[in-house]
Amino acid sequence: MTYIVNDFQINIATANGTGSQSANLILLHTMFNMGVPVSGKNLFPSNISGLPTWYVLRVSDHGYQAPGDRTNIQILMNKATWEQDIADCLPNTLIIYNENVKMPVERDDCIVIGLPMTKMARGLNPKLAKMIANMVYVGVLAEVLGLDDGALDEALTNQFRGKSKAIELNLEAVDLGRNFVKENVVVDSIPFRIESRERDENKFLVEGNEAVALGCHYGGVGLLSWYPITPSSSLAEGVIAYIPELRENEDGEQYCAVVQAEDELAAVGMVVGGGWAGVRAMTATSGPGISLMSEFIGLAYFAEIPGVIWDVNRVGPSTGLPTRTQQGDLTMLYEASHGDTIHPVLIPGNMEECFEFGWRAFDVAERMQTLVFGFSDLDLGMNRWACNGFEYPDVPMDRGKVIRTQEEMDAIANYGRYRDVDGDGIPYRTLPGSGLDPILYRGTGHDEDGVYSEKPDVYRKLVMRLKRKVENARTWLPQPILKEEKEKQLGIIYYGSMENSIQEIDDILESEIGQKVSQCRVRALPISPVVEDFIRSHETVIVLEINRDAQMYGILRRELPNELIPKVHSAAFSDGMPPRARKYAELIKEVLEGVDN
Amino acid sequence: MKLNVIDLPKDDYKGGPSTLCPGCGHDQISNVIINAAWENGVRPEKLAKMSGIGCSSKTPAYFLGQSHGFNTVHGRMPTVTTGAAMGNRDLTFLAVSGDGDSASIGIGHFIHAVRRNLDMVYVLENNGVYGLTKGQYSATAVKGSKKKKGPVNKQQPIDLCKLAINLGCTFVARSFSGSRKQLTALMRAAMSHKGFAFIDVISPCVTFNNNEESLQSYTYVKDNDVELHAYDYIPHRLPIEEVDIPEGQFNDITLFDGSILRLETLGSDHDPNDAMAALTALHTAEAENKHVTGLLYFDPTQATAVEEQNLVQTPLSEVDDEIMRPSSASLDTLNARFRGKA
Repeated sequence: MTYIVNDFQINIATANGTGSQSANLILLHTMFNMGVPVSGKNLFPSNISGLPTWYVLRVSDHGYQAPGDRTNIQILMNKATWEQDIADCLPNTLIIYNENVKMPVERDDCIVIGLPMTKMARGLNPKLAKMIANMVYVGVLAEVLGLDDGALDEALTNQFRGKSKAIELNLEAVDLGRNFVKENVVVDSIPFRIESRERDENKFLVEGNEAVALGCHYGGVGLLSWYPITPSSSLAEGVIAYIPELRENEDGEQYCAVVQAEDELAAVGMVVGGGWAGVRAMTATSGPGISLMSEFIGLAYFAEIPGVIWDVNRVGPSTGLPTRTQQGDLTMLYEASHGDTIHPVLIPGNMEECFEFGWRAFDVAERMQTLVFGFSDLDLGMNRWACNGFEYPDVPMDRGKVIRTQEEMDAIANYGRYRDVDGDGIPYRTLPGSGLDPILYRGTGHDEDGVYSEKPDVYRKLVMRLKRKVENARTWLPQPILKEEKEKQLGIIYYGSMENSIQEIDDILESEIGQKVSQCRVRALPISPVVEDFIRSHETVIVLEINRDAQMYGILRRELPNELIPKVHSAAFSDGMPPRARKYAELIKEVLEGVDN
Repeated sequence: MKLNVIDLPKDDYKGGPSTLCPGCGHDQISNVIINAAWENGVRPEKLAKMSGIGCSSKTPAYFLGQSHGFNTVHGRMPTVTTGAAMGNRDLTFLAVSGDGDSASIGIGHFIHAVRRNLDMVYVLENNGVYGLTKGQYSATAVKGSKKKKGPVNKQQPIDLCKLAINLGCTFVARSFSGSRKQLTALMRAAMSHKGFAFIDVISPCVTFNNNEESLQSYTYVKDNDVELHAYDYIPHRLPIEEVDIPEGQFNDITLFDGSILRLETLGSDHDPNDAMAALTALHTAEAENKHVTGLLYFDPTQATAVEEQNLVQTPLSEVDDEIMRPSSASLDTLNARFRGKA
């Protein structure tokens, strides 16, 4: 028999709130502990308990992390989606189902294993049967796929860290699954296997939101104000969770204030107040929150107050699909608020960057005296991804042009809060409480000394300086990551969580149409001139993104020189699901066919 | 030149010239703020002036020119103040807001700043109309009152004093821009209070709501002002034996900084620690189309928003970067733990 080793996809259909997340994470971590490249995605509903949830595990020696073309192993636990889940199975799928759901499985073209998971679990503990039934399928998969006992024990022990009874009970449930397979299944007839690979001891799994939260602490955040919203809540809660360990003095007093605000408008208002007072202030939210914050974003832009907003993008418009992923907020972030505004946006694509941009965003904000956005999404933020470790900031904090003493003030000729004395578009500021050159900050028009003004030339000069300030940042914000092929035919521009699909897209294009693809991952707005060079040097460029309206493409079209625009094309798509490589590869092929014709 | 207790002349507490309508009650309040801050010896550089949007919110330009200030967005000043208070716990906050700001667009932020007991003086300059947009009714317009143009107001007013008392606000007063002595004493007491000090100042709009049919005109309020007490503010620096004892009954309340607000009994015997009595006084006055003024409610026992945070004593804005950024050793520990090695 030819085995399919480390190259398949498992789909686990359960109901929200049944404890399946623990079981699924144990599977993920077991494979990870075996050194096997694996990714897990939780496709969950906007609901506390009862609605369908799927967990998709992709195992791939190629390192592919996006959901693949097909499900190879289907676990059935949920009556509500049973029939559809079965109908979706392609021939030769291994179906493992809970007999106690009392639903039929009639698929002669598949390998079917049924066992009474709930009943078996009830034998261990009647009260917790529903929860630990999930551990029975872990045991079945462990035995069928050949999961390593030690790796599984480690994952399970970590999952229930410190709860010895839970560890014991769940290990027993795993054994029930394993023993069932030993007694009832001819394992040799099942083609899927997991084989250990060399484990990189430095690698671990972490969620993007937690990585950002930690990064914020290493950026010295002093105020977190927030309003709960999926999928950003775990980012704010991550910041809060690490305060006792990272941000307390010997007396237990803290260096980071936390305010759960009355709404998102208040959350960002507090960020503005904190930034004005001279502390590094942040909030975390999602698209609906940004919509509400827009008024204050304009104030911070115009009054030049630093602050950081993390947007963990979910699917819009409106309440949209609150537990699904998208890159649909990009344009809104870049231009948030009325009038002519433009804001820096940092766009991490992996866990290391989530951490790095977590601290770096504060440097950018204070250097530029403006609000800075971190742009993540549900896929990146709420799923666990491999990480090589977090690197300590390699530069001291950049606090920007803050005058803290009279001597510093005296050294500046012709000081005015909004006077560009250095010619870089960035003025100096003083802090309330310092007694140094106080002004009444305002969102109304103001001259270089901060005094109210409606004069046309004063206004024009001010807004042009604000634009220059952001323009100048193109060359020093995080620069794109390039992977260029010598052919320089096709170039792909992409960003953010698309990073997790790009290698597979690249491989599909190369194997199916023989196209060598250069890659350019944008990591910040405004866009670096390097991107323009990339476009210039390639024959055809396609911008890949997870939204309907081709938002990054639109920004490029507006900002690129006219002669480059004809060779830039868009492959934008969003249906709420994490990006599937096959889908985007097909879109790219369509674009290329159009270009050839 | 006369100097205050920190050797500053009153000029150091003044601001730019007012651009409000001549005779506007708000300018009188600005003058009271200047006097109160000067007399209390407030350090201008340690005070921050906060406001939202509207006629009242423009006034921070007209007082305390040596203080930083922030004229924020409509109704949301309390949020900016909250953030600034967290960033620098040594700042004191003097906020000015209007009835559009606080009773309509920003009522949620007002409520939550009270709920958090943010340490600030919150002066509401209340005239029942929107001035800058030319005289629409606000949510504090009195039912049955009629402004200069348009119909009689038929809606119930939102009484922010009642609301504040119900929310457990730690200092609730109502005053009148025409009662300079009372307002000054209350303003000075508010500045000596720790916690959210709310002063709702009825400040008639001379342009849009000062006509005969208005129940919020200067003349009407003056004639229908029911004062709870007469007030004397006794600074903590003043030896108590130097203070004249009033002839009638009085009651002293001690403020956070040791100063005393002396409440001399007038008609009734209102106890400012009694929330129910305060609400009764407000409801009674409202039923009679009167305006009750004075210190309605006082509770010095509550922790402030910043105190609840358990922050370090140094303002966070002044803590060294090396302390605000956790050590590299702490990150090594975290990395090791993620890797399952710790």
